[in-house]
Amino acid sequence: MIAVLALVAGVALGILLEPSVPAGLEPYVPIAVVAALDAVFGGVRAKLDGIFDDKQFVVSFIGNVLVAGLIVYLGDQLGVGGQLSTGVVVVLGVRIFANAAAIRRHLFRA
Amino acid sequence: MTRPQRPGGRFGADLFASLFQESLDPAYAEAARRRAARPRVPLWRRAAGRAVSLVTLVAVGLLFAVAYRQVVADEPESARVRAGLADEVRSRRAQTDGLQERADRLRVEVAALRDAALAGEEAASLRNLEAAAGLAKVTGDGVVVRVADGRDPADPVTGAPGDNLGRVLDRDLQDIVNSLWLAGAEAVAVNGQRLTATSTIRAAGSAILVDFKPVSSPYEVSAIGPGELARRFTDSATARRFRRYVSAYGMAFDVRRRDDLTLPAAADPQLRYARPQGAPPTPSAGSAPSAGPTPSAGSAPSAGPAPSAGPAPTSSPSGGR
Repeated sequence: MIAVLALVAGVALGILLEPSVPAGLEPYVPIAVVAALDAVFGGVRAKLDGIFDDKQFVVSFIGNVLVAGLIVYLGDQLGVGGQLSTGVVVVLGVRIFANAAAIRRHLFRA
Repeated sequence: MTRPQRPGGRFGADLFASLFQESLDPAYAEAARRRAARPRVPLWRRAAGRAVSLVTLVAVGLLFAVAYRQVVADEPESARVRAGLADEVRSRRAQTDGLQERADRLRVEVAALRDAALAGEEAASLRNLEAAAGLAKVTGDGVVVRVADGRDPADPVTGAPGDNLGRVLDRDLQDIVNSLWLAGAEAVAVNGQRLTATSTIRAAGSAILVDFKPVSSPYEVSAIGPGELARRFTDSATARRFRRYVSAYGMAFDVRRRDDLTLPAAADPQLRYARPQGAPPTPSAGSAPSAGPTPSAGSAPSAGPAPSAGPAPTSSPSGGR
């Protein structure tokens, strides 16, 4: 419950403060969003499994975002940024789907 | 390192299998095991962990909001500009149509008033002259020549546009119109746009403009003329050429006799340099009272840039005579 409130507070902050992304980081925002989604879904599933761990959640979020950004940055430097971000999105997307399915099984038993 | 025994092990041999099976970070389970082994965690540490993960969640929400704002700000910018321009084009076109309609109405009124003012014979000869010059609505029997673009040979798989050789060009319309004049047509209109001695048919990009108004496929060239107009046009070199285009490039082309055609009047020609003899000094002052001040003043600026472009690249329909 508090977690949901925190998430909503973050969204509200983002809307109210209108923070601007530095131009250099702009291409990494979408990939960071996907990585953050993965961390959030993983956290929710762990919570439902009863094995949620604060440190693990924080580390997985930061690690996900950093690694995803790094891979895309590396791809950009090598000229294969598009393909690498597709790869990142596919891998994270598979995990998001699998976690969402597990959450669904927890919530609806189906 | 040897291959682990369990297929679902931490470093499973099959990357994809592990990707699908271990969707949850194995570290969660690890942490849970550690916690179970050492159940007493100090309260302050749990509270700190809780706070940090809440801060992380706030950061995630912030990230979502930022990304959303970025997408909203970036992506539709071009679409907005485009939609705005399209709206403007539409409204301006509607405005032009309205003005044109008003001009036509006023012209009819002027003609009626003039007929009332002039003696019968003079009025009749003036009417005939106007009809011949394209300034009055005319009716009569004639032909309708219909041409349409060939089908776009776009690649069915990739959708990449091909080179459509069957597209009707401004030159094609000019040729058709010129051979209709040659075959004896007395009045010609393209898609309802009456042609006069100074009309232009030209291309702007891929659009065809008749007197600076866009017309689109299928093009209908209607002409009023003598009874043998259809036969003469069908036998003409232009018609033969178009029949060849039909078989070669899939262009649509047909010629049909039509009775009781009605062709509208052309827009008032704007005299820019010439002025009628014995008339008041400025040509626009001479034409203004006849069409009323607003419509002619409204349409004047749109035709303003025309004079330099008008005569240059195209042949006027009278050139074929």
